[in-house]
Amino acid sequence: MGEFEVHRVRFFGLVPAGVRCLACQPRGGRLALARTDGAVEVYNFAANYFQEKVIPGHEGRSVEALCWAAGDRLFGAGLGGEITEYDLSRLCVARSVDGGGGPIWSMAANGSGTQLAIGCEDGSVKLFQVVPGGIQFERNLDRRKGRILCLSWHPSDTHIAAGSIDILRVFDVSSGQTVQRIMVNYHVHKVKRECIVWSIAFLSSGTVVTSDSFGRVQFWDWERGTLLESHTVSTSAALSLSVSEKEDSIVVGTSTGATYQFQLLPVKMGSLEKRWVRTKPFQHHTHDVRAVAHSSTALISGGLDAQLVIRPLMEKMQKKSYEAALRKFTFPHRRLVSCARKARLLLFQFSQHLELWRLGSTNETGKDGEVLPLCRMPEHLVQLKSKGPEHIYCSCVSPCGSWVAYSTASRFHLYRVQYEGDSVSVKKVPKVPKLLLPAYQLQFSAESGSLFVASARGSVHVLQLAELGGCKHLHTFRPPSGCPEAVYLLAVSADGHWLAAVSGDWAIHIYNLKCFKHHCTVPTYDCAVTALAIHPVTNNLVITYSDQQLFEFSIPEKQYTAWSRTVQNHGLHKAWLERDSPITHITFNPKNPSHILLHDIYMFCILDKSLVSLCPLPDNSALLMNQSTLKQLPETARQRQLHAFKICKKFQPLLFADLLDENCLVMVERPIMDFKTQLPLPIQQKKFGT
Amino acid sequence: MARRKKAAVVGRKRGPPAAPLSPASSEDEAPEEVSFGAAREAAEAERKLEGEAAQRHRELLKEKRRRRQELFAEQKRRKLLPEAVLQELTAAPPARPEGQAAAADPGKHRGGRAVKQGQGQVQKRVKKHKGRKGARPQGNYTAVRLKDESLTGLHQQLAKDFLNTQLYGPDTNRAQANEFFSLENKKDPVKKAAVQFVDKSWGQEKKLKAIRFKKRWLSTQMKNGI
Repeated sequence: MGEFEVHRVRFFGLVPAGVRCLACQPRGGRLALARTDGAVEVYNFAANYFQEKVIPGHEGRSVEALCWAAGDRLFGAGLGGEITEYDLSRLCVARSVDGGGGPIWSMAANGSGTQLAIGCEDGSVKLFQVVPGGIQFERNLDRRKGRILCLSWHPSDTHIAAGSIDILRVFDVSSGQTVQRIMVNYHVHKVKRECIVWSIAFLSSGTVVTSDSFGRVQFWDWERGTLLESHTVSTSAALSLSVSEKEDSIVVGTSTGATYQFQLLPVKMGSLEKRWVRTKPFQHHTHDVRAVAHSSTALISGGLDAQLVIRPLMEKMQKKSYEAALRKFTFPHRRLVSCARKARLLLFQFSQHLELWRLGSTNETGKDGEVLPLCRMPEHLVQLKSKGPEHIYCSCVSPCGSWVAYSTASRFHLYRVQYEGDSVSVKKVPKVPKLLLPAYQLQFSAESGSLFVASARGSVHVLQLAELGGCKHLHTFRPPSGCPEAVYLLAVSADGHWLAAVSGDWAIHIYNLKCFKHHCTVPTYDCAVTALAIHPVTNNLVITYSDQQLFEFSIPEKQYTAWSRTVQNHGLHKAWLERDSPITHITFNPKNPSHILLHDIYMFCILDKSLVSLCPLPDNSALLMNQSTLKQLPETARQRQLHAFKICKKFQPLLFADLLDENCLVMVERPIMDFKTQLPLPIQQKKFGT
Repeated sequence: MARRKKAAVVGRKRGPPAAPLSPASSEDEAPEEVSFGAAREAAEAERKLEGEAAQRHRELLKEKRRRRQELFAEQKRRKLLPEAVLQELTAAPPARPEGQAAAADPGKHRGGRAVKQGQGQVQKRVKKHKGRKGARPQGNYTAVRLKDESLTGLHQQLAKDFLNTQLYGPDTNRAQANEFFSLENKKDPVKKAAVQFVDKSWGQEKKLKAIRFKKRWLSTQMKNGI
């Protein structure tokens, strides 16, 4: 494989935003997630929990509640007082309606998905009808003093339970009257605090479950207004709870980062009487768990430490396989870093600004594992702040380093960067062609002569860039059979002949750039594409999918290559398929055409296609990550153990890896402890002996 | 009788001052013989001196009181002055009500501070105001449009404050990041120091600030030294 000089970059100051709301799609196998900065993401469970859609946030938007209604429609409401519907094909806000009650604290859809109830700051519960074009205000329910912090519909849609400060109220939906009012603020210690009901659930048996700021989970009989059971799970607040569809399991999230599962279990073996028992405690998070969800097979929790944790329940799993593994997601499943190889520049994408850095350099060489001293430190060249409250969708820097482009929801910016000796000047390109915004992905061609803009409805725009700083719209590619979804990944060949584009329906289209025509479509696969790249010499398209499958498609021949068929026939190694994070970047070594370099968050791999002829691919009995053992073996023994996958796990968590030139790599890491200081404060833990 | 007592007092007064003048003479010697007339003149001179001293003291106090009264009167007058200046200024530049309101209060404070220093020049203060208004706002001012400061913004702010006090307010048991993440280090079989010392990347801003402060301090020391 050779020796590489590695630029280990840890100055990308990314601080992911905390998870604020979670909503499981009732019958779709998708999870919607909202973050504290207003970003909304959709995870697809079937595609190996891939983050398939991301709608970037907005400075003024805060999402306090998220829910699915009418099948596929996603609604969010926040402290701005508006109910927004998200367009998941165009990845933007479709429309928003003012709630009319001040900041909205909670929102819930009824069982059939036809009505939305919102709980407002002024103490009113408002009902909205979900109609095809949007939502319509229906009526107000009885309004009393006290902000409504949480809401839940009864499964039969006849009653709504609402939690407020010190009080829990039950409304009759048809008449709109408050039929029960229960005080929840009795407590053991005479504390002067008020009891905030953070979340509530209404079970079909007529039991109302609440979690409050004293860390208690309480079960109430709403008709009689009495407390059935009370469990204190924590000394700090119990912030969120979610009930499973079968109503036999509840997951509760607390301020300390612990989550607990409650299960309805029979009192004695075979007895008919059942009771709620706290069964499993989990400590997956370090900060407050403000959102939990219960799918049919897993407990899902999202904390302010930006982690999404999916814990499949063993009793629901058929066998002990990778399906039952714990999944933790902290970083996004897409690239936030672009690299200008020739100029040795890195462009970091933050939510509201971009940073352009030049890598440092060293004159010395050393042995394996040695840290070389820098003769020139990495320099922060330019910081581009995006004007306006919208967050950035995508950004890119050209390979020569002289063009930088980025897009927000309503603006597209193109800049020309000039380097005169040590100084850098940035000039905005004035007349940019009017395109349908936002742009979901940007890619410059290899010689920086054109810019490809991924747009809605499967279309890709080609812009021609002039040396003097002008920009002209050349052509727009559209898939032959139309597509409702937006393109989210692009790949360009080094000779500027081919362009590959993947849209939200996971179809990969290849276009010919010389005659501006659609060339072919890659055979469909039932999983999301996570990365793709075109080989500079052979023009083979390398594709990785979210279930960790790897394919190589020959563009000139319009079919999979022989190597790809061999790999598929043999099957990939079990350890390769059971990786937690998707591959986000594929690149090649121009001097060594048989190498493919790929990386995911926890590993960096060089695939050597030439080794296939010498020895087979690793089967499940061989060790996949065998680089360290190979180093210790003598040459002859090494040949027996050698296989095509050379994996390095030294750099973690890896956000980006690329090959700068023949023996120089750049690895952008973001150690988790580096951003923990910038998160909100965690709850104090008293440990014996400290 | 009083005169004799006074003379005796004067004599006694003169006693101690005489001693340092003639340290060589011992206390065993008899006191000097002073004629009555000379003593009377001396006593009158002393009285006059004392009277003058007392009068000067009284004059001084009077002067102080008078000056203080003037000062208060000036302060009272000056408090009104900034308003007048601002009224003039509001007539001239474009309508920026929020910016004006924000500048008015600091204007008052600045005026007050100037007065406490005891300087009494109106022109200087006007220049200060004008200078401040001309330059882009330093300090904690922001100029905002009324359109942005709407009612929804206020409601949203109240809601956020409520959330903040409930989750991060005084009653909640929150710990600093360093305390929280150092627990593992302290409970390890091999005990390590707190994270802020172990992890070099923590507290970068504080370290940078410290470096900059040191540079500035050293440069001032050099300047003073020279």
